[in-house]
Amino acid sequence: MTTPVVELSGVSKRYGDVLALDDADLRIERGELLAVVGPSGSGKSTLLHIMGTLDRPTTGTLHIDGYDVGALSDRELSVLRARAIGFVFQQFHLARGVPAIDIVADGLLYTGRSRAHRRQAAEQALHRVGLGHRMKHLPHQLSGGEQQRVAIARAVLGDPPLLMADEPTGALDSHSGETVMALLRDLNDAGTTIVVITHDRDIAASLPRQVRLKDGKIISGVRA
Amino acid sequence: MSAPPLVPARMPVADVIRVGGHGLRSRPLRVFLSALGIAIGIAAMVGVMGISASSTHELDRRLSSFGTNLLTVTAEPESHLPTTAVSMIGALPAVDTVSAVGRTGARVYRNDHIPTERTGGIVVYAARTDLPTVVGARTVAGSWLTDAYTAYPAVVLGWTAARSLAVYETGPGQLVWLGGRWFTVVGILAPNDLLTDLDYGAFVGWPVAERELGFDGYPTTVYTRPQQSAVTGVQPLLGAAANPENPGEATVSRPSEVLKAQLETRRTLNALLLGLGAVALLVGGIGVANTMVISVLERRSEIGLRRSLGATRGQIRTQFLAEALLLSLLGGAGGVALGIGITAAFAATQGWAAVVPPWAMAGGMAATLLIGGLAGFYPAVRAARLPPTEALANP
Repeated sequence: MTTPVVELSGVSKRYGDVLALDDADLRIERGELLAVVGPSGSGKSTLLHIMGTLDRPTTGTLHIDGYDVGALSDRELSVLRARAIGFVFQQFHLARGVPAIDIVADGLLYTGRSRAHRRQAAEQALHRVGLGHRMKHLPHQLSGGEQQRVAIARAVLGDPPLLMADEPTGALDSHSGETVMALLRDLNDAGTTIVVITHDRDIAASLPRQVRLKDGKIISGVRA
Repeated sequence: MSAPPLVPARMPVADVIRVGGHGLRSRPLRVFLSALGIAIGIAAMVGVMGISASSTHELDRRLSSFGTNLLTVTAEPESHLPTTAVSMIGALPAVDTVSAVGRTGARVYRNDHIPTERTGGIVVYAARTDLPTVVGARTVAGSWLTDAYTAYPAVVLGWTAARSLAVYETGPGQLVWLGGRWFTVVGILAPNDLLTDLDYGAFVGWPVAERELGFDGYPTTVYTRPQQSAVTGVQPLLGAAANPENPGEATVSRPSEVLKAQLETRRTLNALLLGLGAVALLVGGIGVANTMVISVLERRSEIGLRRSLGATRGQIRTQFLAEALLLSLLGGAGGVALGIGITAAFAATQGWAAVVPPWAMAGGMAATLLIGGLAGFYPAVRAARLPPTEALANP
């Protein structure tokens, strides 16, 4: 039996008086492609932050790639993010004035790889997302869909076991959105576990598994 | 559990500099302006130290050419020394050379049409022929009075005197109206930094002064050079030797000490300017701190992204500290260059050799690093403390 990529048990997150996430249990196996779906304020972002180890649960335990997150220091969590988790954000977060290849190469900046290695890997990753012809382009010279593909290339650079995509198509037109979703499916076919956070029911419905959230509770999709 | 331990990878220095420089490259104008603050402070300090060092260097050069063993004995105004002064001083132990000038009442003019009140501050002296060897004077044109000239109406002009008389050449055609008759200018002296009085002098031979200018033959200033080791021993004896009857009426001085004292006064001014430079540097440092605080506020999403890419708090702190250090180093390097430029320009106007002490440059850069470190520390700590979720929430 393989260890699950993500395992939450009884995870709650409280911000002051607000219970943003209420006793969540979730297990994500290697190679899954799933949607976390729910209206705004349902706790999607909180779940993303906790699964991405950007925030810690108030109660409950979380395992990522076999590590007990609650037992790790902030330093160790940083290393875990560098090695095991890739992030894709709605707003792309690409540095202005930096060529695509260097943006992507920064995906491995904190892993101790040499710059030459990082750039070489970035070149491959850009080919992988279909932007082999856009290496030297600056973000503002790229379309929204291309920018998001650059961000995806950065996120999957070190082949992390887990890719977290937060509303990856939220800032894109429908055509670009489809391209990005198709890319995520390709990456999943190649073995990457992908969690897509979305409020878009159509996108959620197109993925093999949906985890539905409402008012901080997981209401369906607990098991695949 | 078989999972490998989670140890952060060390970032190579090249990456630290590259990442630190990233924030600077994207905002060139702001970087230029805040680096300028540092640069002005450093330039002021390096400039002051450079100018001070250049003037000290110049002083040393002058002193080494004129020597520090020259002593002068001057009679009170409107009085004179006895005729025995020169021989009495020459008889003192350890005194090698001695010479004298005697102030005459004569006036000198460019020609005989100049109104008599326009003397130009020039004083006509009767001078002994051995004066240049004692005071270290040299001529820029012509030559000093030789024995052959002393009985004839020949004059040697001090540097400033020649300028104010508009005499630039020497020779038979160069005449000045001195004491009611024409004198031929046979020499012009180079400026004498040690004895500036000589620059305003017109020197004629002792015999011709007595014969033509009504000179009484008494010396008014005696110049002497004791052996270097004996200077302080000889100095107190000079007053009595020059004027045994009224030793108090002669003023004994050591011109090199006077020059040094002038330099000391300039040092006080330098300290003031250095203080101003330090204030400018402080203000520059605050500018850098301000820039860094704003930079951290503006780049919350970048910080969030980097944390999500796996940067530890320490790595974020290092990034912003490196950015602050690079920013102030940029200003420091510019300031040192500017300070060297100021020194060179000032030295050029004074005709000095420009000297910027290496320790001033090194000190400037060290001060810059210190300022950058202090200015960058708090913003860097703030950046590192920012929780990743909060950083990502504000694009």
